[in-house]
Amino acid sequence: MKLIITDIEHFKAPADGDYKVISPHGTIHHCTGCFGCWVKTPGMCVIHDGYERTGIDMGKCTELILISQCCYGSVGPFVKTVLDRAISYVHPDFVLRKGEMHHKRRYQNVITISAYFYGPDITEAEKTTARNIIAANADNYDGLVKNICFYPSAEDLEEIIL
Amino acid sequence: MKIALIDASPKSNNSTSGLLLKDFQKYLVPKTVEIIETSLHKPIVPQDVLAKLEHAETWVFACPLYVDGLPAHLLSCLLQLEKIDWKKSPVQVYGIVNCGFYEGIQAETALHILQNWCIKTGFTWCGGIGIGGGGALGQMPSIENGHGPKAPVEKALGTMASRLVQREAQENNYVSVAFPRFLYKMAAQMGWRQTIKKNGGKRKDLDARPN
Repeated sequence: MKLIITDIEHFKAPADGDYKVISPHGTIHHCTGCFGCWVKTPGMCVIHDGYERTGIDMGKCTELILISQCCYGSVGPFVKTVLDRAISYVHPDFVLRKGEMHHKRRYQNVITISAYFYGPDITEAEKTTARNIIAANADNYDGLVKNICFYPSAEDLEEIIL
Repeated sequence: MKIALIDASPKSNNSTSGLLLKDFQKYLVPKTVEIIETSLHKPIVPQDVLAKLEHAETWVFACPLYVDGLPAHLLSCLLQLEKIDWKKSPVQVYGIVNCGFYEGIQAETALHILQNWCIKTGFTWCGGIGIGGGGALGQMPSIENGHGPKAPVEKALGTMASRLVQREAQENNYVSVAFPRFLYKMAAQMGWRQTIKKNGGKRKDLDARPN
């Protein structure tokens, strides 16, 4: 399954095959750093607002596709909130990978990450930061980077096939 | 010189970011600076916080690393702050980012986001500290005579405070607690097992794979 997380409301996914889209619907609450998704309801966020199951969805997907405004080199607040709320995809225990500390796998699926950033004036520094963050995400999910692209506007994304 | 210390953890109490700002404050010489303590715990910047920031010429953000970047609520706040016409000299900005991983360098991406925000906002990025082993800082005693597990962290805070008072920038500085990595890893794992039992669960529940 492809899991698409986007800040574009009413996103019409031009995607092949089986996919799920997480896009803005109702109020999303930000992660409060309680770690309840590790020690109270392991695998699922304790905030019940319709966005608590993303960690589970990530455990079922083969490809994670992020579509977001570029916010200083980061994904924007909505997509970041969804990701912050989905740390239960990984296990709280630590392992060493590539000489650095990361979280142990909870699930066995290997995720490839694609990121489509949009925004009118994305700087080269922001693009570098974005590439580094997606690479770091892949390291922490023990996954792979597939594709990172930048577009001047959200409308430009309408022509791509995910 | 007015300095705003901004606790940007999503936790309103007992956060490592708040602890680090308290430690940082110790190294600011009181006679030369006026400290304005404030916080951004939610995705909206409150009016009273804006008023405090308006009066400060130097801002120090402290936050945890979340998924290799800044916490989402702080990104929301930064977007709001960027849109304001501050009508004053460029603010000097420093950052302190702590992460649960052992290596402080893993906070590099978060500091770069703050740096990119400064460029967009017309502020001056003056550097920061990436701190590894943040999960243990709350349990560690203060340093004595320059020794102890927090010593590298306190040294980095002291150095940045000196730079700040002199209105100087610094290169980003990445530090870890002076505590063996394998022991830190073991202590964290023991901690999770104790916590899930306190919550009525079992050790094996940590491995759950809900559908």
